[in-house]
Order: sequence, then structure tokens, then C-alpha cells
Amino acid sequence: MSKADRLRAWAKPRGVPTFAFELPINLAVLATLAALVWAFRADGFSLNILAGAFLFAGLATSWNIVGGFCGQFSLGHSVFFATGAYTTANLYLKFHVSPWLALVPSAFLSAGIAVAVSWPVFRLRGPFFAFATMAFTEVLLSLAMYFDSVTGGSRGVSVPFRAGFANMIFRDRLSYAVLMLGFLAVSLIVLSAIARSRLGYRLQAIRDNEDAARAAGIDVLREKLVAMALSAALTGIGGALFLMYVRVADPPTLFSLFDVGVKMALITLIGGIGTIYGPLLGALFVVVLENFLRAELGGSIPGGNLIVLGFILIGTALFLRRGIYGALTGLVARFAGKPT
Amino acid sequence: MTLSPVLQVEGLDAGYGDISVLRDVGFEVAQGEIAAIVGANGAGKTTLLSALAGLLTPRRGRVTFAGEVISGRKAHELPGRGLALVPEGGRLFPYLSIEENLELGAYTPSARAKGRERMDEVMKIFPVLRERGKQLAGRLSGGERQMCAIARALMCRPSLLLLDEPSVGLSPLMSERVLDTIAKLARTEGLTAIIVEQRVTEVLEIADRAHILDHGRIVRSGAAAELLRDRQIQETYMGL
Amino acid sequence: MSAFLQIDGVSKQFGGLRAVDQVAFSVEAGELVCLIGANGAGKTTLFNLLTGQLAPSAGRILFEGRDVSRHAPDRRARLGFGRTFQISQTLTSMSVLENGMVGAFLHHRSIKAAADAAALALELVGLGPRASDRAGALTLGERRRLEVARALAMEPRIVLLDEVMAGLNQTEVTEIVDLVRRLNGQGLTFLVIEHNLKVVRAFSRRVIVLNRGALLAEGRAEEVLNDPAVIESYIGRRRS
Repeated sequence: MSKADRLRAWAKPRGVPTFAFELPINLAVLATLAALVWAFRADGFSLNILAGAFLFAGLATSWNIVGGFCGQFSLGHSVFFATGAYTTANLYLKFHVSPWLALVPSAFLSAGIAVAVSWPVFRLRGPFFAFATMAFTEVLLSLAMYFDSVTGGSRGVSVPFRAGFANMIFRDRLSYAVLMLGFLAVSLIVLSAIARSRLGYRLQAIRDNEDAARAAGIDVLREKLVAMALSAALTGIGGALFLMYVRVADPPTLFSLFDVGVKMALITLIGGIGTIYGPLLGALFVVVLENFLRAELGGSIPGGNLIVLGFILIGTALFLRRGIYGALTGLVARFAGKPT
Repeated sequence: MTLSPVLQVEGLDAGYGDISVLRDVGFEVAQGEIAAIVGANGAGKTTLLSALAGLLTPRRGRVTFAGEVISGRKAHELPGRGLALVPEGGRLFPYLSIEENLELGAYTPSARAKGRERMDEVMKIFPVLRERGKQLAGRLSGGERQMCAIARALMCRPSLLLLDEPSVGLSPLMSERVLDTIAKLARTEGLTAIIVEQRVTEVLEIADRAHILDHGRIVRSGAAAELLRDRQIQETYMGL
Repeated sequence: MSAFLQIDGVSKQFGGLRAVDQVAFSVEAGELVCLIGANGAGKTTLFNLLTGQLAPSAGRILFEGRDVSRHAPDRRARLGFGRTFQISQTLTSMSVLENGMVGAFLHHRSIKAAADAAALALELVGLGPRASDRAGALTLGERRRLEVARALAMEPRIVLLDEVMAGLNQTEVTEIVDLVRRLNGQGLTFLVIEHNLKVVRAFSRRVIVLNRGALLAEGRAEEVLNDPAVIESYIGRRRS
């Protein structure tokens, strides 16, 4: 083999996948999930769960851009979730803009707030960054309660039921499940595009070693802000879709650390942080399990479902260090006889 | 010098996880001897010291120290028996002062009882430490750090001192000083020393005997002076 | 006309400590300059000033006539400064090839182009066969070579090597010495910190000696290494 051929042999099959390689896999996964939706098309209860799972899968996937690939453990993403929700709600309710169109300014505004808030905070390393993002959540929650003309204060914002595609309000659960699957699709494809690009490598370099990244010519702050903006934009869209689904939400719900901000991070950790499909696996596992537990145990032992969930979280932290995705790939590798 | 060796290593196999590093390693060190263990990077030198110091449990084989089998004993049980390790780079506690680092070296109850007295003795050997006593160990230069690490190991009055690459990262002058100090200590304190080194020429000049480790096996043992003159060894380990 | 790299009376003060004291010298394009000196002499601090991890307290650093004294590290990297670190800074979660790609992305946009450029750089340092291994699984010598590969993948104008030979075995040292000579022969400028005198003699070019932060001697290797002041403070009498 000539030298050029040898080099080419190293570069491609030896584990440098491109986006062109990843996209078909994305589509295959999404098709499988679509088939799942179709299988349950008559079961409203299951469709509701699937919709929730897909929404959180999309949110966790978007969080993974900055939390998993860039290593910036943000616990403040509920701010962007809420921003997206309120932007769309206000544009729809007050200016009669179709929620579909409102998604665009929602995404931009979420991205803008993300950049503004992160700029000073990215100086902080490790746990201090996480704390600062939590603090921002609480601060903005208070502001949201105060500016009740925008957010409806403690009464919350409420979207009246007026079915119609243009309104993004549907009579049937199937449409919502498809909508959330669409959101997941966008998130997944964006994450894949980032992961299999120069930006993705730079983010991972920053995660592994900021000083080495700088020495390699990477403008660390700029790349972090780009990752944050993209992540926040997608999270904002998720927030908007959430509001159009439940049609009523108050600031504590949207800004909720535990149910939104921290949950996105936890789901990603359980599923496999820093991988493309980890967050999706985590969401399917956690959301389905949550609902199942609530149905089975929620009645008999109050909070029983939360206790079991807690144990599962501890279990995965102890035994599945690389998340569900890591465990699965490990099994596959061992089965195929390759060294893990 | 007594006839029975102070340290006996027999058929030692050791490694990490699936990886086997040391294979059937065996050698002896006599009382008061300075033994050098040299070899290329990756040959297993640090693994060998870790196994001797109880930081790594050998898979096979036996280590006997002063008549007692110590292989399989935990690391913290060994200073009390007279064995001290100076790890690579010294591994001082950077945010503690020199004096505090030395205090922590007096690990055994008997050493702690005589703590202040022993610290004075040790500082007499390394006067620079007395000068800088209250300074943070992290601020020391390479050579001073190595001296402090050796001093810390001396605090519990070991009879066997294990040193892992004491000259790494030091200038030629400093590494000469450190190795000379070790040689002098061995004589005056009656210590036995095992020095693992990559700087072959320098360590062979102060050692009594030397063992060459290659891919986890001892391939050559002999008097240090003899090995120093050996042409083949010169080419493999000392030339450029 | 100013030199390729000009260090103009650069000083760096940390509180009461003057780590670098009015150091001035220049490096011409295509040169291979060795920087030697005891630990704490200011060599790595000087490197950090050159590559931007630190800003000088006084003086200027000029690269091709441009004042880069206050440029951030990534900006200097983009201008052509490549460097390795004394403590290996490889990106451990990524593969060997991906580490190289991070450097290659400086001048290449697409994954394929970066992968090709990285593979070339890996081949230059002899890490080609390890391309798909996790960087965290490499030995010390391999990690050092990987850092060199990442720097080379950036297509630098000047390469700063910080004790790249420390901890390498004889074969690895020879390989890197050959590599540096070859690349320098093709016109790549090198500034190298080294403790290994054999390596310094093997390069036998210009040597700069730092002592306590100040320039002690400068000149051709043969002269400098025989300079009494240098022997006194750095080499030691036995090694000269």
C-alpha cells in the first residue's frame, strides 16, 4: 500500500465518523421511535408518556451539547426552558402569532439570554459554575414572579383550548407525540452535526483540558458561548412546545430546578453523558419508569415512586459509570470480542 | 555486614488489571548495600517498588524483609517495620509547610514520640530544610523537594529506603547532589537503599550492586562498577 | 530589522519573587536553540511568557516584529506558536488520532482533512499504529510524543518543547532527537528546554543558560557547556 493509502486507512475506518456517517443512524433511531408511536396510536395514556419521554429526550440531548460535550455542568437550563415558553405564549396570546413562527424568536431569545448570563459565569471552574447557574435560576424565577404581565405571576399563563394546526393545539394525543418526536429529531440531528464537526472536537478538547485547548489555538470562551447558545436555543424550543402541550404553567413549574434543570442533567448522566444517544436512552428509561412507578406505587406508598427512582439513580451512579449507553456498547464490544 | 540479606525477592509476578508487568523477578539486597535498579521507561521499575512498598499486591512470589515475609502486607504496615518509600517526584503535601510534611513522616507511634528530636536530627542532614522550615512545600525547587521527601522518609528511622527515580527532572548538578546525599546517608545512618533510576551512569557511580530490569524481568545483575564498564550496557542505556 | 522571535528585557514578578529577570535574546527563523538551567531558574516561566499563559511584568516579546506580549495563548497558537507541556496535557477521553485532530483543526475545517493531517503528524512521531487507542491508555513516552504530534498538526512556525525527553527511554530519546533534527533541517524553528546534556550536545547548536531567572550564558553548545559558571551552577564537576 502506498503511504497515502495507509494514511487513508487510518483516518476513516479507525473511528473518525463524520456527520454523513451519523445521520443515517439518527434517522434509523427516529424511525424506530416513530414505529413505537404508531404501535401505541390508540392508547392515549401511553402516547402521553411517550410525548413526555421524547420532550425530555430532546431537552437532555440539547443539554448534552454544553454539559456532556463541552463539560460545562449547567444546572440553569430551566431558565431557557422558561424563556422559550413565555416568549411563545406571549407572542401567541397577545400578538396572535402562530406558535410555529414564535419558535424562532423563542430560540433566539433563549440563546441571547444564555450568552449574556454565561459570559461572566464561564470564568468559574467546576462546581462553582454549576452553583452560579443554579443561583441564576432562582434569581430569574423571582423576577418572573414579579413581572406578572409577562408571566402571569403565580396564576401562571394559560393557553385556551382552540384546536388547529396553526395554533399547535391538537385534539388527539398522537399529534403531540409526533410533535415531540419532531423536537427530538431536531435536537438529535443538531447534536450529531456538532459532535461530528470541528466544533464538536473543540468542545471535547475544552472539556478534557482547557489549557491544552488554548495551546492548540482554540478560543475557549467563544466556543463555550457558541455551545451554550445552541443548547439554550433548543431548550427554549422545548419549553415552548411544553407550554403548548400542557397549556398552563406557572413560574415555579417552568423554572423548576428539580423537574427541569437538574432533571435534564440527571437523565443525561443516567443515559450516558457525552454520547449522542445517551440522553435519549436516559429519557426513555427515566420518564417511562417514573410514570410506571407513579401508577403502581404512587397510590399505595406516598412518594414510593420517588424513593425507587432515587435508588435507581444511585444504582446507575455506582454501577453504570458510563451510563446506559456505555453499558450497552460495552456489552456489544465484549460480545464481538473486541477490547473495551 | 551480616551474611543474610536484608531483602529477598523471589519469583515476583505483578501487574495492573489484565496487564502483567513483572515476571519472575528475583534478587537480594545485603545489609548496608546500595542497590540500583535500572531499566528503560516501562520496564517495570515503579511497579517493582510499589510491590515492595506494599502499594501493589504481587500475584505470585514472595518478598522477605529482615526475615519476615512482607509481600501482601498493606503499605501502612511497613514503615513500622523499618521500610520507607520516597515516591517519584517526592509527593510532598504542597499546601503544608516543610515541617508539617516532616511531622507527617513520623508515622509510627515510636517515631511520633521522638518527633521533635528526630526532626532536628534530620534537619541537620539537610540544613536547607531548617532554613525554609515554615515555607510551603509546594514552593520548593526540584532538588529541595527531593531532599525534603527523603527527609520525610527518614523520620521513622527506616532501615531500608526505597527511592523511585530521585533525579527525575533535576539538573545534572542537583541530581548529582541528591545521589551523593543518598550515598552518604547510607553510610552514616547504616541504611540499606534501593534506588530505581533512569539515569544509569549517575546511579551506577554510587551503587554497590545493580540489577537491570527489561520488560519486567531482571536480565543482568552484578557489581555496579563492573556494569558501568560493560560496553553493551553503555550502548543500550547510556549512549545516544 | 527584528529577529524572528525577540525577547526584549522580559521580567516576571510573582509578589516578591522575580522568576524571570530581564532576560533578552533572540531566535532566528530556522534555528534550534536549547534552554538549560536548574529547576527554579525560570525556564518554564519563560516558556509560559512566550506562549501566553503568563503576561510579562516588564519587557516585550516580539514575533516577526509583532508585539505579542499580551496576546492570549490561543491567539499566539494561531500565530504559529506550538508547545508541549512539562506535565503531559493530552486529552485523555479522546483517541490518539482525535488528539492530533484538535491541533489540525487550526488550519483545516473538515473532519477528513483534519484526520489526514493528524495521521501524518502521528506518523512523524511514530504513533501511527496507536491512532485509534484512547490517549489515556498511552505510556508516558507515547503521551509526550502525542503532544509533539498535536503541536506539529498545528503547522506551527516555532515549536517550544518543555523537557519533552524527561522520562523517555534511550530509544525514544534518539527518535525524538532525530525527528527534531529532521524538522529543523526543513526549516522549522525550535526552542527546547532540556536537562539531558547528551541531547543538548547532540543538537550542538546555540545554548542559553538561565540561572535564578537571569541569563547566565549564551553561545554555542561547546563553549557554554565548558563555561565555569555554568558548570558551577548547573552541570556539576563530575559531569562536565
